[in-house]
Amino acid sequence: MNHIPHNHACGNTEHGVSRRQMLGTLGGAVGFGSLLQPGIAAEIKKQHKQVCLIWLDGGMSQYESWHPLPESKFGGPFRSIKTSIPGVHFSELVPETAKIAHKISVIRTMETKDPNHSTGVPRIQRGDPIDRGVTYPHLGSAVAKLLGPANPNLPPYLWIKPGNGGFIAKEAGFLGAQYGTLALGDGKPPIHIHRPDGVSAEVEAARNALRLKANERFKAYRGASEIDAYETSYAMARQLMARKEIFDDSKMDPKDKERYGTHPLGRHILQARRLLEAGVRFIKVNSYHWDTHGDNFNMSQRLIPQLDRPFAALINDLEDRGMLDHTLVIVMSEFGRTPIINSRLGRDHWPDCWSIALAGCGIKRGAIIGETTKDGAFVNSEGYDIGHLFHTIFTLLGLNPRKTRYRIKGQKLAIAHDDCEPIKEVMQ
Amino acid sequence: MNTPVLDVKKAWVSRELKHDRQLFRAQFSPDGRFIAAGGQDKLVHVWELDGEKKKTFNSHKTWVSSLVFHPKAKRLFTADYLGVIHCWNHEAGGGPQWTIPTADQDNVRALIVTPDGRFLISGGDDATVKVWNTDNGKPVASLEGHKECIFSLAISPDGKHLVSGDLYGSVRQWGIGSWKFERELDAKILHTRLDNFIADVGGVRSLAFNKDSKLLAVGGMKEAKSNAFCPGKPTVLIFDWATGKQKTELRIKGKSDGPFNAMCFLEDGTLTGHTEILHSDSELTFWETDAPEPLHSIKNGSAYDLSLHPDGRQLLVTTYVSGGSSGNGARKRHREQYTPNSTNLKIFSLFSKPAAKKAGC
Repeated sequence: MNHIPHNHACGNTEHGVSRRQMLGTLGGAVGFGSLLQPGIAAEIKKQHKQVCLIWLDGGMSQYESWHPLPESKFGGPFRSIKTSIPGVHFSELVPETAKIAHKISVIRTMETKDPNHSTGVPRIQRGDPIDRGVTYPHLGSAVAKLLGPANPNLPPYLWIKPGNGGFIAKEAGFLGAQYGTLALGDGKPPIHIHRPDGVSAEVEAARNALRLKANERFKAYRGASEIDAYETSYAMARQLMARKEIFDDSKMDPKDKERYGTHPLGRHILQARRLLEAGVRFIKVNSYHWDTHGDNFNMSQRLIPQLDRPFAALINDLEDRGMLDHTLVIVMSEFGRTPIINSRLGRDHWPDCWSIALAGCGIKRGAIIGETTKDGAFVNSEGYDIGHLFHTIFTLLGLNPRKTRYRIKGQKLAIAHDDCEPIKEVMQ
Repeated sequence: MNTPVLDVKKAWVSRELKHDRQLFRAQFSPDGRFIAAGGQDKLVHVWELDGEKKKTFNSHKTWVSSLVFHPKAKRLFTADYLGVIHCWNHEAGGGPQWTIPTADQDNVRALIVTPDGRFLISGGDDATVKVWNTDNGKPVASLEGHKECIFSLAISPDGKHLVSGDLYGSVRQWGIGSWKFERELDAKILHTRLDNFIADVGGVRSLAFNKDSKLLAVGGMKEAKSNAFCPGKPTVLIFDWATGKQKTELRIKGKSDGPFNAMCFLEDGTLTGHTEILHSDSELTFWETDAPEPLHSIKNGSAYDLSLHPDGRQLLVTTYVSGGSSGNGARKRHREQYTPNSTNLKIFSLFSKPAAKKAGC
């Protein structure tokens, strides 16, 4: 197998600050903030940006959450309740988020293209860029590449999901395996994270040096990607091994467990908060089984509160810790759900007009974006595709999506869809 | 005119009442002169079957989830997803005679009236069976013990026992009048919660006694495969009422994958039930209850309720009708034609269709 070198350096000149330069500057910057060069200051600010993507796989109903419309012909049976924003109502299934609506934004006019899961999930998570015959990275891998780790001692991209964990290289697309994600099955660290008592730190270091040497020899004659994947996953595991207290349940406040909920999504969002506090750049939290084609109303009654409480708790906690201004929280799916109710009293897939919730990191507080038809079925103002959202996210993270480019095999590739723009209404 | 011979294998659709929105419950009045129905449009619709006059009752603020007629008086009780129960005079019309504003914390999923007409009984999301005075809606008793929401209620034909079925597959028996808990029947097979589910699926969606109170049919679905599509195997469990033991498990012939939302026994002991399926035809099924396989089934759209006419020969089936726009988007091109699905209240005559009279005879 031929060795195909990956040279996907970010082409943004604003990103040309080394970590050493950064650390040096930071050291000198304490107490001399005004002397900081503007470019460096922006870079420092950028280095603190973090993201938590809460992904409700299958698609949450907008009618049973952010855009209830019970008086319309497509509305469900649940009440709409007042939120902390005068005149704005959410579904009664999100009472805790309704109380903190003034801290978040909701875009009610997402208008995307793909009505299928198999193509829709990667299309949305990759930002649906113009097809140039390459596989774009998912958002987490893109941010890991473009911003690097927020804490050099922790992986830049972790994925908390139900079921099994493991290193998932394919999220990185053309960036190569080193920008893949380490999935933490059920929010737990990789198995064997703890160094056995019988192995001393010195022995462990010697073993690691030998392993690296063997990798280098192996890599010299073979494709890099597999080794990169192995090496990256191993490095991530070692980083987490050094911070095992982040996963120590006994160190968690029981009140936090109660506030977030003991169901998987509650536990996983709470774990995400702990990882954000520790300095992980990008965390994706997945919850599955939101594809309520059948029994949508009974299921929504049980599912949506599982998002409501921990999402509201996360926003409050990030704010209390002074983190909300630099942490972007996104709640979304691959699409919304149909206005029409089907034969199984379910709602099907609906990319034509659906809602997402955002908070922090320069997102406006208390903004409800977009006008729909009275029944909520279609967009009646500007519709926003996923490309617009990616422009928004990258801009909020301090990147310029018009200038920043990936480099792959000599090509410069846009980081977000060329024809889209940031959603200015949602940005401060 | 002689009463036609009951023959479900010769059943045919003798009448249809169409409605432009989805209806979830529809029942014949005890005198057989009216049909009341409610659902997504928040209205209560009452059709007079002789002449097709129709009244509409407007007070619910959300979907109508359940309804039942008083067995003797001119009263109709209707309930909704916000826990409200209204009592109407369905013949005279007008506003509610009385209202219970908070019969449940959330959805009232089932209503029934005792055969003597004294008590209205409700069950719903707060897992408590509640007994009300049918004259004024005042509370009579509150029966606690279920651990999850109640989907279904039934009263034994002798008027002595009430049963209530919940999400977990628990069927609890209560004494009418004493309002004491008597025993629990195990229908837990109708509840599914696999390790990867994030919600409980299924439950006891329907209950029906046979006419001599010897059998209790418990309907729902088993072996749900996910909490998203919620597909399962439609199932009816037949219990020997005397022993409380399950006798038979009834199946369907077709591909339906939703629960049995309604069932009723015919006078010859045949049980009928209806289930749901996504974007396809479901079936109206008939069984002799000692055998698991159906005696007969009739292809029909998904349906949510059944009601037997007091003549025992007509079965009202609340049938879903697709408007052609169901399924996944994107439907921007069809923006102007994007309308809700609708309902066909089908009356199946459960006997051989009379031969058409020849012209000139």
